Amino acid sequence: MTEWGNLLLYRNHSRVFTRDRTIHYVMDGTKRPGARGRREFLVAAAGVGASAVAGCIGRSYEGARAGTDESDLTGNVTITGSSTVYPVTVAVAEEFQQRYAGVDVTVDSTGTGGGFKNHFCPGNSDVNGASRPITDGERENCASNGVEPVEFEVAGDALTVAVNEAADWVDCVTFDELAQIWGPDGAEQWSDVRDDWPDEPFELYGPASTSGTFDWFTENVVGEASSHRSDYEATEDDNIIVQGVEGSPYAMGYMGYAHFEENRDRLKGLEVAVEDRDNCTPPSLDNARSGDYPMARPLFVYPDAASVRENEQVAEFMRFYVENSATDLVKEIGYVPASEELREENLDKLRNILDGTTSTETRTATEGTNTTETNTTETTTP
Amino acid sequence: MATETPGRDESWYGAGEEVDRIRGAAFKWACLGATLFGISMVFVLLLYVAVDAIRPFSADAGWYLAVGLAAVVPTVALLAYYVRRDREAGWVGATATALPAFCLLVGSGVAILVIEVFPPHEWFAVVPALGAVVAVWAVHQRVRPDPVEFERFGVVALAALVAFVGVPGAVPSLEAALQSALLWLNWPTMMLYSFAGPIALATGILIARRHESRRAGAVATTLTFAAGVVSILLAPAVGVDDYLLVVVALSVAVPTALYAESVLRSGENVSGLALPVVAYVGIAVAAVVVETYGFTGPAAWLDWEFLTEPHSRFPQRAGIYPALVGSIMMMLVIVVSAFPVGVAAALYLEEYAPDNGATGRVVSIIEMNIGNLAGVPSVVYGLLGLALFIRYADMNTGSVVVGGLTVGLLILPIVIISAQEAIRAVPDSMRQASYGMGATRWQTVRNVVLPEAIPGILTGTILAFGRAIGETAPLLMIGAAAVVFNAPGAFTEQFSAMPRQIFAWSSEPSAEFRHGVLAAGVVTLLVVLLSMNAAAILIRNRYQRR
Repeated sequence: MTEWGNLLLYRNHSRVFTRDRTIHYVMDGTKRPGARGRREFLVAAAGVGASAVAGCIGRSYEGARAGTDESDLTGNVTITGSSTVYPVTVAVAEEFQQRYAGVDVTVDSTGTGGGFKNHFCPGNSDVNGASRPITDGERENCASNGVEPVEFEVAGDALTVAVNEAADWVDCVTFDELAQIWGPDGAEQWSDVRDDWPDEPFELYGPASTSGTFDWFTENVVGEASSHRSDYEATEDDNIIVQGVEGSPYAMGYMGYAHFEENRDRLKGLEVAVEDRDNCTPPSLDNARSGDYPMARPLFVYPDAASVRENEQVAEFMRFYVENSATDLVKEIGYVPASEELREENLDKLRNILDGTTSTETRTATEGTNTTETNTTETTTP
Repeated sequence: MATETPGRDESWYGAGEEVDRIRGAAFKWACLGATLFGISMVFVLLLYVAVDAIRPFSADAGWYLAVGLAAVVPTVALLAYYVRRDREAGWVGATATALPAFCLLVGSGVAILVIEVFPPHEWFAVVPALGAVVAVWAVHQRVRPDPVEFERFGVVALAALVAFVGVPGAVPSLEAALQSALLWLNWPTMMLYSFAGPIALATGILIARRHESRRAGAVATTLTFAAGVVSILLAPAVGVDDYLLVVVALSVAVPTALYAESVLRSGENVSGLALPVVAYVGIAVAAVVVETYGFTGPAAWLDWEFLTEPHSRFPQRAGIYPALVGSIMMMLVIVVSAFPVGVAAALYLEEYAPDNGATGRVVSIIEMNIGNLAGVPSVVYGLLGLALFIRYADMNTGSVVVGGLTVGLLILPIVIISAQEAIRAVPDSMRQASYGMGATRWQTVRNVVLPEAIPGILTGTILAFGRAIGETAPLLMIGAAAVVFNAPGAFTEQFSAMPRQIFAWSSEPSAEFRHGVLAAGVVTLLVVLLSMNAAAILIRNRYQRR
């Protein structure tokens, strides 16, 4: 015992620079060996006894952290993609996680294109959210890595054009007017578009060109893909659009419905008509669902068919996603839920993937039963 | 002088041949203004965020009365007494009050690691295996006091190999054997032996050295171990899992007791120890009063649920736990990767690298560019991490290792520079004295330079880690997820860190997220950051006093 103690106490005696206190230790440690043995024995006995008591009393944790959920499903589900679909996916993932605590779900918001290019097609994520349909280039890129994207339309969004609350001169705009405002070489002043509007310059806020919202707006409203004026405040964050529009009476911006809904008391949402100004429709989830609102757009998720087949948890997550896409969960966060027909069709599609009968070519399923039918058709025919 | 121009006279002297003091005074006040402006801006921002996170105006008047009378007024009165009468005791008191809180944070960090990464059975396997290696080293030191070159290193390496690797396929390592053989022990007992045991031993050794008495050391060891046992027995009453309470209780109790003991033993400023007693008893009394009379406290966003729950789409239920764990795990990777590499590079550059001739010029160019690297924007390091670790080395996108290594690369130049400064601050006379005694360069570095420089190295490095924990841009580049619901259980899993989670909240539509939840996240991040800086200050002060 003494030797061991010396070892621990004086282990730095070999150092070149020793503090002189060490010498005191040596002196102290070599005195009175007799009494110490008994005392140390007592100490050791007390310690062992106490720990034995604790060993009997402490609770046992074998398997304490597993098995609390109704399923023993494990593994990872990695989701990337559009920042517009992200809130829906996070809500679904939260519910999924409560039921399947053993599965690690991670959700990242990377933008539609960024998700396909950097994460999904290289095979690093299982599901990619998209606020526009996948392009042929992206499909080829995925195929070259053995990734098979399958399209699921899971929700809808009512893209909203908002102006400042003080802008009492405008209540409704047509697609043609929007194209004049937002198109390349767009109007400088409000009065350039309509004569009874004020002689004041536009202050425009909109999503950046990397956004799927930008792509949808240029294709369907301006009329040509990626043709958009560049002298506007482009941002990835819809909150900045809200702040910008709120801050100036001559500002205009477009954003997802969820952000407009949250700031309804601070902004004025414009009614929109495709051609005829007598046919204006205000932005709302009901109008988007019925198809009356012309700027309703579908939102998609693209799981990798190979991953769905190989990983039970990914298949289960997609089934859960599709089933919940037709519930109020989607509506509560400001999106249009999928219709019952769409849900049934998506479930069929999922079954086909699992049976191995779906190939990447069968992707026209959204047509016909789509709640936002007109827009999907516009989207898929450039 | 004859060459002086009249203009210069005018600029320095007033008309009456007197020194003009206005300029100097104006300059002084301008500097003061700049200082106050900077500080007040930061202070206002912090106050704003803290008010958002804690919502102090939502509490009852009774709550304020109870907390004020029981905790704040006595503490402030005592502080005022210290400021007026006995500043030294005041410092002792402040340290003794802050130490348990700080240790509680550190202990909670360790407890989180035990929950998420090293469950007790793994911990229990690793610690005795490490202990076995140390024992082999100690025995060898005794049996062969004068080993041949590399003999001790070889023996220890062999012991480590047996303990942790074994013979693949044939003989399991000691660690693996322990992990499978000792399943009959339950988790609290494992933590008692593998956490409380080593800490009790270390405490005993410390006390034995301090008191120059082995009896005192044995008593301290027993007391510490007994404290561990008591904490397990009390766990059901406290409502915390017993194997975690051991960790947290000892992390708080041992450093606090050691500090109090050192104050008591020195016999100076003992009155300072009244401050923690008054403050913590006051808080306890206030808690009891609030509980008894049913006052409602502030409806803070930053509450226990926020710290222990994952993100939710409902702001009231949203929490930061998985991101907090992710940040802690990332810091571990950074410490393990950036610290040794940075210190080794600094040691080479300061102690070994030639400083003249052609190679000397190369070395000075390298040193200059390390300085430049420290200024490279963090997004660029994110791209480097993406290319190097994910594309080239094919690691998991957004995993803890990739995040830690990328941010580790980011702070590596800062670590190198601060370590270089610390090494440069070691007086050359000490090196010369060491050489004069016949020590080799290796002995000089090991026994003179490193021990002298370590406090400075640690201080600079911890400040660099403080920067690392707040980095967001590289995490975006390497694909750390915005939202993770389960804390990562391994270093290869995808994670989210606190700044990434805060950034995700900033783009939520709801104002409750952008003001309440986000502010709570920022305050959490700041508390972790400030406690790291506090650790740096503690280390510096501790070594400066010697």
